Amino acid sequence: MTLSTIKITDRDHQIAKLSAIAVALSLVEFFFPSPIPGVKPGIANIIILYTIFKFDLRMGIWVSIIRVFVTSIILGSFLSPTFFLSLSGALFSLFSLIIFKSLSPKYFSLISFSLIASLAHIIGQFIIVRLWIIPHNGIFYLLPIFILSAFIFGLVNALVTNKLLQLNPKK
Amino acid sequence: MIKKILQSIKIIKGGDWFIIILFCALITISTKFLWNLPEGQYLEIYKNNEILATYTLNQKITKIINGAIGETKIIIDHGKVRFSSAPCAKKYCIHQGWINKANQIIICIPNEISISILGGKKNYDSINY
Repeated sequence: MTLSTIKITDRDHQIAKLSAIAVALSLVEFFFPSPIPGVKPGIANIIILYTIFKFDLRMGIWVSIIRVFVTSIILGSFLSPTFFLSLSGALFSLFSLIIFKSLSPKYFSLISFSLIASLAHIIGQFIIVRLWIIPHNGIFYLLPIFILSAFIFGLVNALVTNKLLQLNPKK
Repeated sequence: MIKKILQSIKIIKGGDWFIIILFCALITISTKFLWNLPEGQYLEIYKNNEILATYTLNQKITKIINGAIGETKIIIDHGKVRFSSAPCAKKYCIHQGWINKANQIIICIPNEISISILGGKKNYDSINY
């Protein structure tokens, strides 16, 4: 009989801690009223960006997916449209980051990555909304508002992340 | 304070500016294309504030209207309309060019001719019935 043991590495601990912070930020954001319905700053993404730049992209993907699942289970929206919206946004963002990973850090800082990911997030959500939730072309009327908010919050989140990284420099 | 702002701008690299400019262009283009006004369907021609005639925009036709000081030529061309000649001195009406959106108007004050585009279905009410 072979004995299989799961070895919990230091890395796993890091992922758990960062995911916990990301979930906490998502919950804070959920209870905070938004001036425009549907427009959210996405402050949990600060933690994901921080993870990607402090550690690596693989770890960022883990934190992002764990955050989506755990937040939806806590809020009771697991497998509901809200959950799939949040999941598709997260997956599109991560996918865009994987594609643009090779951009030279000499010319592109995390601001670029944040903006690309926030735009991909909106595109992913709009695809789900158009195909499944509201199959009507009228929703594209809202697209400029969401692109504008993606730009503003993508920029703000990137600047906050940058500050966090300055406070905790890479080892 | 100003020093801090300058410091935070310094971290934006060349490529970032490129992405930011692309993003701004995307916002402008999406606003322009997605927040387009509905296109008009009917044209109303007014002479001295009274409706002279109503035409559908879905045709190619040239109309000559007799105004207060002379003849005004109006061209309708499949969804858009313009003044092609007018007896007025400044020719503002001609320089306005083509119009095609609902609720757009061109007015020629000297000749007392104006045109306005109506959108979608033409609604009848107690005044124009």
